[in-house]
Amino acid sequence: MKRSSQIGLAAVGVVLVAIAWPRSDDDAEDALVYNSLADCRAAGQMSGSQCEQRFNEASANHLRDAKKFTNASACEAEYGSGSCQSAVWNGAQVVVPALAGIMLARSFAQGGGAAQPLLPPTRQACPPGSLADECRQARSSSSSSGGGGTGGRSRAYSTTSGQALVARNVSSTGVASMPSAASRGGFGSTSRSYSSSSSS
Amino acid sequence: MRRVSLAPRRDWQTQVERLGFAFHTLDGETYWDESVAYAFTLKEIERDIEAPTGEIEQLCFAFVERAIADEEILTRLAIPPLHWPLIRDSWQRGDRNLYGRLDLAYDGSGPAKLLEYNADTPTALFETSVVQWDWLEQAMARGALPPDSDQFNSLHERLIAAFAALREPSPYRLHLTCVQNSNEDKGTVDYLQDCAVQAGLDARFTFIEEIGLLPDGRFCDGANLPIETLFKLYPWEWLFRESYADALAGSRCQFIEPPWKALLSNKGLLACLWQMEPGHPNLLPAHFEGDPRCAELKPRYVRKPLYSREGANITLVERGTVLDSDDGPYGAEGFILQDAAPLASFAGYHAVLGSWLVASQPCGLCIREDVTPITKNTSRFVPHYIEP
Repeated sequence: MKRSSQIGLAAVGVVLVAIAWPRSDDDAEDALVYNSLADCRAAGQMSGSQCEQRFNEASANHLRDAKKFTNASACEAEYGSGSCQSAVWNGAQVVVPALAGIMLARSFAQGGGAAQPLLPPTRQACPPGSLADECRQARSSSSSSGGGGTGGRSRAYSTTSGQALVARNVSSTGVASMPSAASRGGFGSTSRSYSSSSSS
Repeated sequence: MRRVSLAPRRDWQTQVERLGFAFHTLDGETYWDESVAYAFTLKEIERDIEAPTGEIEQLCFAFVERAIADEEILTRLAIPPLHWPLIRDSWQRGDRNLYGRLDLAYDGSGPAKLLEYNADTPTALFETSVVQWDWLEQAMARGALPPDSDQFNSLHERLIAAFAALREPSPYRLHLTCVQNSNEDKGTVDYLQDCAVQAGLDARFTFIEEIGLLPDGRFCDGANLPIETLFKLYPWEWLFRESYADALAGSRCQFIEPPWKALLSNKGLLACLWQMEPGHPNLLPAHFEGDPRCAELKPRYVRKPLYSREGANITLVERGTVLDSDDGPYGAEGFILQDAAPLASFAGYHAVLGSWLVASQPCGLCIREDVTPITKNTSRFVPHYIEP
């Protein structure tokens, strides 16, 4: 036989093609950060269903990407007290830093670019008792239930790859700066100057 | 080889859409056309397509071996000298390749002739691998084709196996990337990501515009996660000339396709192969424009830019008269001239065969049809089968 014996398409049985959307030439380093679905809806940058979709994406990636611990004290030693939750991963009981919010690049908010889960700041970035505004904000949010409603403040997070991140004006405009990449956007310029696709 | 008219499935749109095939119709024109199919004998497939495809791949390897040590060739191919070491290292390290597509002229008689090698960013992958496969299964199931028909198409199985073997240790973390505004490219990458997941890899998508550079010289995705292995549906000749070009060598990233594929996706390959193996039955006479040997070409020839995709900027000339051309943005780096091969012509339609390789193994066939002799990005895709 010269052909495949079976074809399975893993992800929910279909391959999805994203809808094209216009590129925004806003500062590529800007990102949108939301602590909760309610924040996302209230900010009004995306529709309610888009917000929901983005949170679902980030939640799905959260467990996969977050660092996993065997007990709560090991996790809290790294992420601070009250910042961890237990979960089941590949059939095993684990402890992971809790989902503290989601981040999406501003130019990718409407169409694609997966939403990234955000975690509480590490103890290294926000030592216990730190008076830095972003750390106090992160602490108070992790011990209270929500996280919204404190517009105009900075808040510290960490990414699943372990980098520190500070979002400014979290729930009012949801803009964060991402300081850890030295630069972004160095590829793709040729394609923008052509109208057709880059493949053959 | 026969061109056969068949009744399309009454609900063919629904049937192909259930597979996730979203671009069966482009700008209102049918792209996936199952009112027609090409029928081959097993002998035609194995002797005339599969075997020459493997042979041409071996010729290409011999060419890469020669080119990486020959500055004159690298210069003729318009590869920026800064990137010669990257290409050389990737070849000498044995960086594995995933896939490619040879475009062949073949009509069932005489040897297939190589038109070009889409070695770096080939598409039409999903429709070849999955959509035409499913079409044949359904055609056999409802009795429209004999139940022991077959198809030259083990792409899906081979892609999954190739992803698992691309890098040691495996499974590894793989990023896949393409540009933002092409549904077709995104569809191709989504399919490859699906294959990579089935191979057990941690596969993640990032748009090429999202890629960043970390202070330690590695590339990173939108979440600043370092990129260790990158499948890029984005041509090397563009990567070589964009602002991160200088960072390629120090990125410690394994690229798919590897940098040495830049030597094969270049139309200059066609002139170089002809020079290496003049008279080879599967090659067409070809020379760089300006080479005095161009005078030896037939009066009917094709002028192709070194870098070109989907038929753009290709001109068909006969005795100095332009017969067909496709506009486009390419050509600044130079051209080759190649004898025009008579394409398979049935009922007024021209067909070009795409012969696929996965990990350098010939394993699939697709056919594009057009009323004009230059296959373009709008040429219709028609399925094929092997007669029992």
